[in-house]
Amino acid sequence: MSLIIVIEDNAQNARMAAKLLGVAGHKVIVAEDGENGLTTVFENKPDLVLIDLGLPDIDGQTVIALIRQQADLRTVPIVAFTAWPEETAYQMANAYGCDGVITKPINTRTFAQQVGDFLQPQQEP
Amino acid sequence: MSSKSAVPPQTGQSEVRIAVPASNYDYERLAAIYNQARVDYIVPMPMNAKRMAEYVHNYDVNLECSVVSINQAGEETGIGMFGLRDDGQKRRGWITRLGVIPERRGYKVGQFITEKLLENGKARLCDLVQLEVIVGNDPAHTLFRKLGFEDVRELLVIRRPPGPPEVHPAFDQAAVSQMSEEEIPFYLKLRAPGESWIEETPSLLNAGSMRGLRVEMGSERGWVLFQRTPFQLTHFVLSPDVSEEISTALLYHVHKEYPMQDTKVENLAANSPAWPAFQRMGYMEVFRRTEMFLHFR
Repeated sequence: MSLIIVIEDNAQNARMAAKLLGVAGHKVIVAEDGENGLTTVFENKPDLVLIDLGLPDIDGQTVIALIRQQADLRTVPIVAFTAWPEETAYQMANAYGCDGVITKPINTRTFAQQVGDFLQPQQEP
Repeated sequence: MSSKSAVPPQTGQSEVRIAVPASNYDYERLAAIYNQARVDYIVPMPMNAKRMAEYVHNYDVNLECSVVSINQAGEETGIGMFGLRDDGQKRRGWITRLGVIPERRGYKVGQFITEKLLENGKARLCDLVQLEVIVGNDPAHTLFRKLGFEDVRELLVIRRPPGPPEVHPAFDQAAVSQMSEEEIPFYLKLRAPGESWIEETPSLLNAGSMRGLRVEMGSERGWVLFQRTPFQLTHFVLSPDVSEEISTALLYHVHKEYPMQDTKVENLAANSPAWPAFQRMGYMEVFRRTEMFLHFR
């Protein structure tokens, strides 16, 4: 079972993501803003972080940068989860060290697999 | 305003619209209404109550002049905020944080809110009202033009991820000195005029935590001011009328000193002579805004 932390301020999106990933066999922790997201990531050392780029306290990009500055989290997969225009989302994701982008609205049939594809092979449920 | 068109109400449908001063709400509620209204915006920029309070303080938002619109059921349908500044020569208003909650769109709520804000600006004897709209948000841009706003210029929102700048021996040979806090207001008086609302001197003084550096390289000198928050560098001001080389050297020394800080610069004029220097230091454009003015007199 992989541990995935979802940092997402929109409760509806967070619930949907948690549900779909839970059904796929992952353990999910949701954090509703950047500060809680950072604390949760630092304390739990997840297998993957799914993060909204627009957060209500600290920008998603800044949160990603702060995670990447931790030596033990440099290689944890981080996936941007965003409604930004695709080109901007990919540019930001690449620049800040994300492993990929999943754009909103999500496809509920493929979402868990899309996220799973970013997990390192031995961590697949 | 959203970039996505809502399903319009059927012919004959109408909705009572009432504007309530935003001062009737606490920051928690204002942030919640704003976040609901911007949930499908091109670049959603949600806020929590603390960030909303800072925004109101830093940008001189007048909550009496700002409005929340409600419908006949007493439900909030949208929000629009209004900044107010008077430099002794001109009284100016600024429309910001405007949005309509998606499921309550289609009743011209955005136009209603904007017109209320303009009425409030007239009542406060504003000479002009200004705003910025994200490039690509055509419905909002069209509405503002319809209400008499004119395009002024394009502004860039740019970012630089953390990381030290690439070593540059010539820049490293420059003489660098830190500014004291007391010197910041003096340098702010030397800046070029014409900044966007959020980058104007009152915004920077309200925000606080400003830092500054001076660089002397060969026969040229320059200075840079910026705000350092716990997680970001922002609100950059570069000395006017200096070469691209000295502007680049200034940014180089800022990022050399704060290599682990993320950086976001909002509303740099697209034709700013400093933009190439930012690009050389690894900044990239995230999105653009169009600045618009409506002159009352």
